[in-house]
Amino acid sequence: MSDLSVRFLRSELGLIARRRRNQAGLAALAAVPIIVAVAMRLAAPSSSSPSGGPDFFSQITGNGFFVALAGLGVELTLFLPIAIAMLAGDAVAGEAQQGTLRYLLTVPVGRIRLLAVKYAGILFGAFLAPLVVAASGLISGLILFGGGAITTLSGSQIGFGSGLLRLLAICLYLGACLAALGAVGLFVSTLTEQPLGATVALAMLTVASFVLGQIPQLDWLHPYLLTQHWRDFGELLRDPVSLDGLGPGLLTAGAYIVIFLPAAWARFAGRDVTS
Amino acid sequence: MSVFTSRPALRWLVPAAAAVVVVGGGAAAGTIAASADPTLPDITAAQLLTDVQNAKVDGMSGTVVQTADLGLPALPGLSGGEGGADLMNLVAGSNTARVWYAGEDKARVALQSTLGETDVIRNGQDVWIWRSAQNEAGHFALPADKGSRTPEALPSGVPSTPADAADAALKAVDATTAVTTTGAAKVAGRDAYELVLTPRDTASLVGQVRLAIDGEKKVPLGVDVYAKGADDPAVRIAFQQVSFDVPDAEQFTFNPPPGAKVTESGAKDVEKAAEEHEKAAEQAAKEAPEGSKVVGQGWTSVFVAKVPVNDQVTAVTETLPKVSGTWGSGRLLSSALFSALLTDDGRVLVGAVAPEKLYEVAGK
Repeated sequence: MSDLSVRFLRSELGLIARRRRNQAGLAALAAVPIIVAVAMRLAAPSSSSPSGGPDFFSQITGNGFFVALAGLGVELTLFLPIAIAMLAGDAVAGEAQQGTLRYLLTVPVGRIRLLAVKYAGILFGAFLAPLVVAASGLISGLILFGGGAITTLSGSQIGFGSGLLRLLAICLYLGACLAALGAVGLFVSTLTEQPLGATVALAMLTVASFVLGQIPQLDWLHPYLLTQHWRDFGELLRDPVSLDGLGPGLLTAGAYIVIFLPAAWARFAGRDVTS
Repeated sequence: MSVFTSRPALRWLVPAAAAVVVVGGGAAAGTIAASADPTLPDITAAQLLTDVQNAKVDGMSGTVVQTADLGLPALPGLSGGEGGADLMNLVAGSNTARVWYAGEDKARVALQSTLGETDVIRNGQDVWIWRSAQNEAGHFALPADKGSRTPEALPSGVPSTPADAADAALKAVDATTAVTTTGAAKVAGRDAYELVLTPRDTASLVGQVRLAIDGEKKVPLGVDVYAKGADDPAVRIAFQQVSFDVPDAEQFTFNPPPGAKVTESGAKDVEKAAEEHEKAAEQAAKEAPEGSKVVGQGWTSVFVAKVPVNDQVTAVTETLPKVSGTWGSGRLLSSALFSALLTDDGRVLVGAVAPEKLYEVAGK
């Protein structure tokens, strides 16, 4: 039985990896930091305006490492959530629309395990996507601007190696944040047979959450927002690292996962699959 | 499983229960901390103040969180950009700072904002100010003799021991303030005494000021200011996490990163600036605008001053509600803790009192 689950999981991951639109989406994610790096290179002498541009942009010309951070910062608000929304939309609603869901249900595994495999696929994407963005940013940045010691937010300098470790930790943190979004996405995906509907709904939810987070009059709501702590990844760039600062973000992510995975099960386990 | 198969709707109880546990769990954690029983032996206010003055810690570090909920109207032009600490956060919202302290001449405060940080670091005579958003570092050296505060010979009549000073201080405030202590506070997971200051004058908007003092180390851990009748503090500054280990020396070394803009000001510049500041202060005191005075005393005193009215001021005040009465007319800014009145004839009145009291003073 467990052997069957492993095969099922492997086939699901293979399906995700081979899907053309997923490959294209990943390429688009990887392209953004490259575009940023090239644009900054062409507009080179911008050192006269050190505080211009979004976060980390001003440091790019000094150290290619910051292309990765700038890329993550730029993509966090829309590109990365859309990528997860695509995966989540395909997970259940996509199968239902293609009419393949009922064949999946003939595989002798329970619906809980089916959902678990589907969520594992989303998790795979959630952790892979930030890594791809960071890697593409790091490589293009190093080629165009070179590396070197990294300035932390506290103004101190750390070696490139420990900088890479911190970048990896940032990717894992963002992966956890996106995993929570994926749990919500899996639930939305069980509600409909239109994968595009699920994708759009989840993307809108993310944007709405960011917008609500910007409104000071709604500060009582802010602790409950999914996206509220996503930008806390900067805590890993302080010296010393402020691991406590990551607590709220990880707790929020955990809370969303704990609520929405059972919700997805409650909906999916009792659903009549007709297509 | 069988229940869920026969009655599918029951499945929804699982996510619902998870939601209740998650949301309720957070709320419950707060309640437990708030209703902790007194664990510390009783102590008088005078004894507590004496202990605070005698307290000596070799080092400490922690995270300080400041929150404010003054019930102010949103003012345009006060919210800053991303990456910098937001001015609006000081009056509505929260700020987080990490602090390190190792003796008189080693201290560091890091004010944190999303993807940004402002550091003030003192190491011996060197003081650095670092702003990550601007990629800017400022450095100046404290003059050697003035850097460390040495206790000077006290003139006679000034209390010479901490215990005397505590008694004198308590006597001085007794007419206006009731001072009590409790042993029931918990700050950053540590048992703490609370020094509770309650204004005797009921006209004050301030209900209570509660100063939390660590039960063991006798250092202040936090301050809560309550508006009258409020259950939650209007302003709160407290350690969220604290450690009394001496921090590593490396926390206090700062070398400006390459590429950063560094501004140097020598010890002489600092002294000069200080002197100029003193002169300016004297000048200002002499030239204090007419009508700048304090009316009343204690918690209900009202500060009255004349202000120049220019377009910038008007732009902000125009959004405030208009008020008028027998005293004239003006704009009113009222919050949970204080009120401010800007009259049309260019006076500003500020006090920790209800607007009615300001009208009364304005009419005099």
